[in-house]
Amino acid sequence: MAHSPTTRRRKKANRAPFLLLLGSLLILLAGLGYPILWQIITSFQHFGLEQQFGAPPTFAGLENYARIFTDDRLWTVVGRSLAFCFVNAFATVFIGLMVALIMRAVHGGVRIVIQIALLLAWAMPMVAAVTVFRWLFDYRTGIVNWLLTSLGLSGFDNYAWLSHALTFYFVASLIIIWMSVPFVALSLYAGLTQISTDVIEAAEIDGASRTQQLRYILLPMVRPVLSIVLLLQLIWDLRVFAQIRLLQDAGAPVSDTNLLGNFIYELGMGSHDFAGASAVSLFVLGLTILISWPYVRSLLKEDDQ
Amino acid sequence: MSTSTVAPPARPVRRRLHMGTFAFDVLGIVVALTWAFPVYWMVLSALTPNARLRQVPPSFLPTNATLINFQRAITDPGFLPALKMSLMITLLTVAVVLAFAFLAALAISRFRFRGRKSFVLAILIIQMLPAEGLFIAQYKMLSTLGEDVPALGLNSVLGVTILYSAAIIPFTIWMLRGFVAGVPLELEEAAMVDGLSRTQAFLRITFPLLAPGLVASGVYAFLQEWNEFTVALVALPAGSAHTLPLWLREFLNASANRGLDWAQVMAASTIIAVPVVIFFLLVQNKMTSGLVSGAVKG
Amino acid sequence: MKYKKIAALVAAASMLGLSACSSDNATDDASGSTGKGDGNITLWLAGSDTPQELRDYLVTTFEKDNPGSTLTIEEQAWGDLVTKLTTALPDEKNTPDVVEIGNTQAPTFTTVGAFRDLSPIYEELGGKDLLQSFVEVGSVDGKQYALPYYFGSRYVFYRADIWDKAGIDVPTTLAEFTDAAKKLTTADQSGFAMGGQDWRNGISWVFANGGELATVDGTEWTSTLSNPKTIEGLQMWQDLVMNASNLPTTERDVAYWDFINDGTNGAAPEASAMMAPGWARWSIGDMTKNDDGEEVRDGMVDDSKFDIFALPGVDGGVAPVFAGGSNIAISAKSQDPELAENLLKIIFSEEYQTMLGENGLGPANSKHVDSLGNDKFATTMIEAAAASKLTPAAPGWAAIEGAFVYEELFQKIADGGDVQALATEYDAKLTPMLNGN
Repeated sequence: MAHSPTTRRRKKANRAPFLLLLGSLLILLAGLGYPILWQIITSFQHFGLEQQFGAPPTFAGLENYARIFTDDRLWTVVGRSLAFCFVNAFATVFIGLMVALIMRAVHGGVRIVIQIALLLAWAMPMVAAVTVFRWLFDYRTGIVNWLLTSLGLSGFDNYAWLSHALTFYFVASLIIIWMSVPFVALSLYAGLTQISTDVIEAAEIDGASRTQQLRYILLPMVRPVLSIVLLLQLIWDLRVFAQIRLLQDAGAPVSDTNLLGNFIYELGMGSHDFAGASAVSLFVLGLTILISWPYVRSLLKEDDQ
Repeated sequence: MSTSTVAPPARPVRRRLHMGTFAFDVLGIVVALTWAFPVYWMVLSALTPNARLRQVPPSFLPTNATLINFQRAITDPGFLPALKMSLMITLLTVAVVLAFAFLAALAISRFRFRGRKSFVLAILIIQMLPAEGLFIAQYKMLSTLGEDVPALGLNSVLGVTILYSAAIIPFTIWMLRGFVAGVPLELEEAAMVDGLSRTQAFLRITFPLLAPGLVASGVYAFLQEWNEFTVALVALPAGSAHTLPLWLREFLNASANRGLDWAQVMAASTIIAVPVVIFFLLVQNKMTSGLVSGAVKG
Repeated sequence: MKYKKIAALVAAASMLGLSACSSDNATDDASGSTGKGDGNITLWLAGSDTPQELRDYLVTTFEKDNPGSTLTIEEQAWGDLVTKLTTALPDEKNTPDVVEIGNTQAPTFTTVGAFRDLSPIYEELGGKDLLQSFVEVGSVDGKQYALPYYFGSRYVFYRADIWDKAGIDVPTTLAEFTDAAKKLTTADQSGFAMGGQDWRNGISWVFANGGELATVDGTEWTSTLSNPKTIEGLQMWQDLVMNASNLPTTERDVAYWDFINDGTNGAAPEASAMMAPGWARWSIGDMTKNDDGEEVRDGMVDDSKFDIFALPGVDGGVAPVFAGGSNIAISAKSQDPELAENLLKIIFSEEYQTMLGENGLGPANSKHVDSLGNDKFATTMIEAAAASKLTPAAPGWAAIEGAFVYEELFQKIADGGDVQALATEYDAKLTPMLNGN
């Protein structure tokens, strides 16, 4: 006998998720399929500027990887990038959460003002943003030095923030955090508003203080969004490139301030070592998977519930 | 225990006005000022004649204000074509990405099927790949495609849209998945118990609650692609096909006869930011209204 | 099912959107053809050095001489030029036909066969009259692939009023210059504003002392920083930077003119001398209003306050400074090479070369150098350019610039490092890089 109506419905239901995924899969294959394949293959070949201009690439096996891994510069940059990434990702999410909570706690009018300010900051083209920060911290004409010396801290007279690696990273972090917080704050705020007010009201009636509400209700309920923004900040901050590059252009010790993104770019577009750049890119991919693995795993487990 | 068993009244929660709220208000204003300051500085610089920029001591107010930088930027012949190009590419990308990512997020969150875990993992891992090494291959790809299908090749809206969409779909799926996961299935099921069909329950209960998530993801996608530079640089080599970030880049050329005109760069940057702000203002109303009405439907 | 319906709706909507856009593409593509063998060629100019007047001349003249063909000029930012050339030049469907390229970048591309061999038309375009140092940098194995387009040069801009007050005359030797700069240096005012990473100005001291950055034997390049004359030059520069400049040693691409202009409200300038390419003139001077009512600098009208001189050589005369300027080449993959060559003939014609000079760009053909004029700016520029030198024409030079190796080296020197030791260290680093390894 033909399939019963229930089996037919179940079969239709089984096809539904795949249909839903189809569009995304097609886009991904179209836009990223070939480039990723190319990158993997190139990392195993000799590929420099000659190959780009027509000379056939030859097989190099693991040579590129060996060359990269025995290069001291790589490991210094890796260390720096990891430190920079962790500090900034956690700082951004923390500050973003604070801002989102503030947005919850203020009057509607103030909330709109904050949203507008965050949006403006977010909308600002990156080149302009980095330039403004460069000007603010300029050793001669910068407001920061002017303010600090006016307050009596004469050590900051003509202090060149960008010429010492540590203060360079301080300025870079300010920029990254400033640029990333709007997104984090707005997403967390959106997540917070999804929490049904019934639960909050019930808790208030029960006499829960603001902090208790925060710890036991709000935070757990926005955990999915919180996890995601943290993970994404980690991923993104590990690969940061353009802002560092623009700051370096203002005058900074380049090899002392390079992060992984810059390293890859210099290998590729600077030295035309495309094979090396591909190898390092795949290495960074591996590294990112490594540092986020425990996190990803818990996310997937959470999924199962 | 005084847990209410009665349906809550249909009104938004009134914040009790007390000192706490005012303190937060002040804090909120400080936050707003901090984040808006660099933007203010950009606009201030755009209003200053280039020769007077970066003086010591700095001036915080627009003395010597001039509109000449804006004038030059807007009347630049490359501006309108770049604006058109950016709008087409970005809006198309956002539409495509939101649509497909939303469906995919639903698939991942609401269904159990074979390959689900792998897809989720793949989506995550794709985002971890640094983009700097990919654009040579992306150029080759578009160039080859363009030989057979010009509408998909270099200097085309579709070609770049595909690249942009692929770049941002993984992230959007992740974001939306989080929001979908944050809306408990119980709400839908409760509504179905009340007699609504699955579709109605979805559209009337879940969807409005997802609206802020959709809007946040849409705004993020818009901003990312509106300001995107490297892929555009490589995929849109013809001057007639430039997007706004590429147009801005032209102002960063010093020449043999003059130094860099930073004031003009700032004016051009301000102009580029305007459509984004308009977009958000348009969308913000939907967001807040969807919020209020969606959160308390019984 | 509901999800399917939604999926269908969305798909339909996107299809509509996509088809609406593809009709736009048809018109976009038709106007942007490059190098397709269809008689329309593209010229890529770098930065905004070539004024609009000259670009219009090229288009009009080319289209008149080659009826039925069009010339499209596209401007590329200097910072992105190498990236765009790397992706576009090998692609015969989309390659620009003629490109402007920095003289320091030319060797990287000529050695991988990116450009067409121009030796057959070399004599016709000017032959020996063309700036030979630029020709050399664009040649491989005696064949020319990239020819000079225009040259610039750099010289010293100084505050004549401050120098006069201190009773110091324009120096005639490099040592005198160093002394003058040191004498004028105070805590608030540099005698000579120079950033520590600014090797483009710094190597002038190496050249002035007869030193070389690198030498070539056949095709093998060797970095010669340890050459005693080079060391002398570096040490001289070190002395100057440490004792006459208050700028941080990490400054690289500095707007030096900010330093010799007066501060706000007539405050004293932060430096009494600096070195820059000729076009810096237009950012120096007193504030004035131009025809648009805009506030600009007056371009050094008051010569009792602002003046110039060419950097003096070690034993008098003029020091060899680093020559600015670009080369021009035809893409090897161009589908219209004859038309591209026709364009080059127009560029190297007397009319165009003269126009370059009239606009402050040193013409490639030295026969037309007097079109630069004979005011002090022109004569100083020509003087400095005649003695100028270029960076080594090594295949790996662009990579060295891309990795900022020279910036690092110079910064360490400016910080007071041991020049001898640094030279040896960097020779070891640079030699493989020069050869493209």
